[in-house]
Amino acid sequence: MLDFFQTLSDGVLFGATYALIGIGFTLVFGVMHKINMAYAAASVGGAYAGLLVLKVLAGAPAWLVFLGAFVAGGLLGWMVYVTCFHFIPLSSPLATLMSTVGMLLLIDEVIVHVTAGMPQGYPAMFGDVMLFMGDFSMRGDLLLVFGVSVLAMIALLALLYRSRLGLATRAVAQQPVAAQLCGIRLVRVNALTFVVTGLLGGLAGALIGASVGTLSPLLTVPLTVKGLIVTVIGGLGSIPGAIIAGLLVGGFENVLQLYRGVTERDLYVMLLLFAFLVFRPGGIFAAKGGRD
Amino acid sequence: MDFYFGLAQLIGVHTLLGLSAYIVLLTGQVTLAQAGFFAVGAYTAGMLTVLAGWHLVPALGVSAMSGAAVACAVGFPALRVKGLMLVIATLAFGEGVRLFFFNFDYQIAKGGIKVGPLGGEGFRQIRFFPENGWETWDVMLFIWVFVVAAMALLWWFDRSRYGTVLRAVGEDELAAQSVGINLTAVKVSAMTVGGAIAGVGGGLYAHYTTHIEHASFSILLATFAIAYPIVGGLRSVFGTLLAVIFVQGFLVEGLRFLGDWRNLLFGALIVLAMNLRPSGILGRRRHA
Amino acid sequence: MKKLALAVSLALAAGVAHAQTIKITGFGAKSGVVRSFGINSEAAMLAAADVINKGGGVKLADGSKAKIEVEFLDDRCDAAEGISVIRRIAGTNAVVAVGPTCSNVAEPLFGILQKKVGDAGDSGLQMPVFTDVAIKVGLAKISDWAFRNVPNEMTMYNSLFYWLHTQHPNLKTVYGGVEEDFAHSRATWYVVMKPRAEASGFDVVGNTKWLLADTNFATQVREMKKANADIVAISAHPFSTCGVLKEMQRQRVRPKLLVGLTSSSSLETLQGCAKQAEGIIIPTSFAPINKDAVAAARTTAKFKGAADLHSMAAWENMFILKRVMEAEGISGKPGDVQSDRRKIRDGLAKLKTTKGLIGVTKRDAEGEADKPYVFVHANKGEWKVLYNPL
Repeated sequence: MLDFFQTLSDGVLFGATYALIGIGFTLVFGVMHKINMAYAAASVGGAYAGLLVLKVLAGAPAWLVFLGAFVAGGLLGWMVYVTCFHFIPLSSPLATLMSTVGMLLLIDEVIVHVTAGMPQGYPAMFGDVMLFMGDFSMRGDLLLVFGVSVLAMIALLALLYRSRLGLATRAVAQQPVAAQLCGIRLVRVNALTFVVTGLLGGLAGALIGASVGTLSPLLTVPLTVKGLIVTVIGGLGSIPGAIIAGLLVGGFENVLQLYRGVTERDLYVMLLLFAFLVFRPGGIFAAKGGRD
Repeated sequence: MDFYFGLAQLIGVHTLLGLSAYIVLLTGQVTLAQAGFFAVGAYTAGMLTVLAGWHLVPALGVSAMSGAAVACAVGFPALRVKGLMLVIATLAFGEGVRLFFFNFDYQIAKGGIKVGPLGGEGFRQIRFFPENGWETWDVMLFIWVFVVAAMALLWWFDRSRYGTVLRAVGEDELAAQSVGINLTAVKVSAMTVGGAIAGVGGGLYAHYTTHIEHASFSILLATFAIAYPIVGGLRSVFGTLLAVIFVQGFLVEGLRFLGDWRNLLFGALIVLAMNLRPSGILGRRRHA
Repeated sequence: MKKLALAVSLALAAGVAHAQTIKITGFGAKSGVVRSFGINSEAAMLAAADVINKGGGVKLADGSKAKIEVEFLDDRCDAAEGISVIRRIAGTNAVVAVGPTCSNVAEPLFGILQKKVGDAGDSGLQMPVFTDVAIKVGLAKISDWAFRNVPNEMTMYNSLFYWLHTQHPNLKTVYGGVEEDFAHSRATWYVVMKPRAEASGFDVVGNTKWLLADTNFATQVREMKKANADIVAISAHPFSTCGVLKEMQRQRVRPKLLVGLTSSSSLETLQGCAKQAEGIIIPTSFAPINKDAVAAARTTAKFKGAADLHSMAAWENMFILKRVMEAEGISGKPGDVQSDRRKIRDGLAKLKTTKGLIGVTKRDAEGEADKPYVFVHANKGEWKVLYNPL
């Protein structure tokens, strides 16, 4: 029985990383209604860029590297906006989809070229901290990741619902023409929201790098898939949903790995997704009614 | 010369993959499931020629049918989800197929060694072509017979009422329904046809590479599948063909002389292409 | 005066003489996580060619000398692309191909080669391929045209476990960690490490599994902890190896000894987790333990590549090929490309031993190599020789 709870706890804790990247995904896909397949890649790219801090300042503390990743993520977010969403007309969603796929490939390749594909050790905060309660243990660094997710959620909810930018973002996502008629500068709002989600993405990438311990180009595609799954299960556009879904997916996959082995694990995660799509397509926290 | 025939084989197989996505995209469904049907076709054809000793042509027939059957089964639940959710659902399906084959073992002993798919190790020694003395030129022609057939079929659809109906559903579902078009029939049939074409493509792929494994049918392949019709434009099947030639012929092989820069240019050129021509190389159909 | 005249006439002769080149094309992964392999193999091949050419080049059948020209193509570790690449190489005047990097490319690639040489009914490609890196067990026997210069993991791990058993008689149990979704790592645990450990008198108490791109190893390391084995053997590539090692550190799992996978004895593991990998023992077919090895490493570094068991195999291949070409008397003329390829194939098939950088390599009838090896361990961020059985 302890095995089950320990496994569940390990999984849920690791799910905090999915939650963190899921928040960004649900914002981009659910609030802004943009299909940005390059989001996870840009986040990982931001994390890599954070390592440049160590090149300049050998022995810099981990939080400084995270800060570097945070800033780089914002920059990459803006780049994705310009290359994929600024020039392509809204009436061509397929083109933006393909364009973001191109960016995903490009960012991946740049990472591979700069690092020759080799894994890069990543600095961590509380990386070795384990909380022991008898035989039961919990990773300290993942608790930090969870904490950051909650803080990010609070900050983003405040931004979305209490600030002018948030109001403008929601307006532009729902009715771009009407928003412009109200004097909202479309380009500026779109660019800014990409930067904001990019900042979050960079931080998420850094914390994921810290949790995994090493950064590798292998991370980008699986993270993209996880982010999409978490977004759907949590409900498109729901930030608290993304967090809960992230923890749920993390726990679920780890428990199934315990009972059915590692080769079948991901199959069950897909089945979980299908179950939600069939029985609860709106996700855990179905977004409030309104347009599609 | 052999190299160019080999390249033509590759382009042929990828064109089938692209065409399978083309017909589904016409109905407005963005599908990342084509690589899954491709995989089903590949393993089916491989198992029939290697384990059961069939000739390739009937094996491909069964691949087409199995691809179509699986696609039909996917088509119905796909009706319930739209837009982004459909993308994710089909992506998850494709991954599910890949994971299924990752866990799939079916080996029988033939001539002292065990043959057949072996989970993570893949399915090796699918040697129908070399064992029967097919030259590169023969294989190329064989593959292109199927490509031309598929293109002809889809081109004929495009000129017939069925094609108009498909595109009508793709443009505006509500309007299409209001003139009495049966959305279910249209969407599922498109998915099924796409599945059949992908099945044949997969079967050919398995025989020309001689070794398939779960990792061959990744998300990247699924993305390539829709990339071809999107980059080529949905106006006609030739767009897809052009896009395959552009990607596989130009970007992958043609740019080899650039050495390391080739891979960097790959993503960059796709981004550029989409920015310059959002409707694809041949553009989209514009009715009067 | 006489000397000057001699010098001038030689110079003139050299200028007038027809400069012939022999083309050897390397191919491998220069994309993705395995990009460093391609970079290093290419550098090693260029470096070796440079040394050979500075020494005059390859002696052809007609007595003249030809310089070696090296080209390197990227197959992106993808089977279909690898097949395309080998066909492309076959269409040029290259007389032999060196590669590929990835075992999942090698297997299908060997599959399209002619199976039995001289079989007129087999339309497979007739191009000799001399592999430097792809290491999955038992591939060269797929075709008469395929040859490999990769270490024999069976021999190495047999020797390693035997040595460990004699060095540490108090250690009894072994536990494995396996990367299940990569052909090489999976095969190496089940087919090589596990049986060899048992044959040396160890008790293999179990194994745990993960996937190549996995990021959470909590469950697996807990299983490892429960098994409490003396030795933990990890059959995985650097990314997941580092992930497991870091989790082991976190959960305070400290086996008495750590054993790793051959191909992980490279810079990547140290780049990712030097601290956690401290002490891991890996059998490898290259270490800079003698003059030749050090010189090869230095020359390769000039071409911006690192010397490890993979790239140094490519280096060795170049010299082996030079010897074979000279022994079989290849013509080097543009019209004789196919017959030269056949001669090289026959020459490689004849070899019973070749000269490796750290010792003599034996070759078998299947086209595989049995390379000399040493055991290295990670020591303060570097790979140092732990034991040299040679």
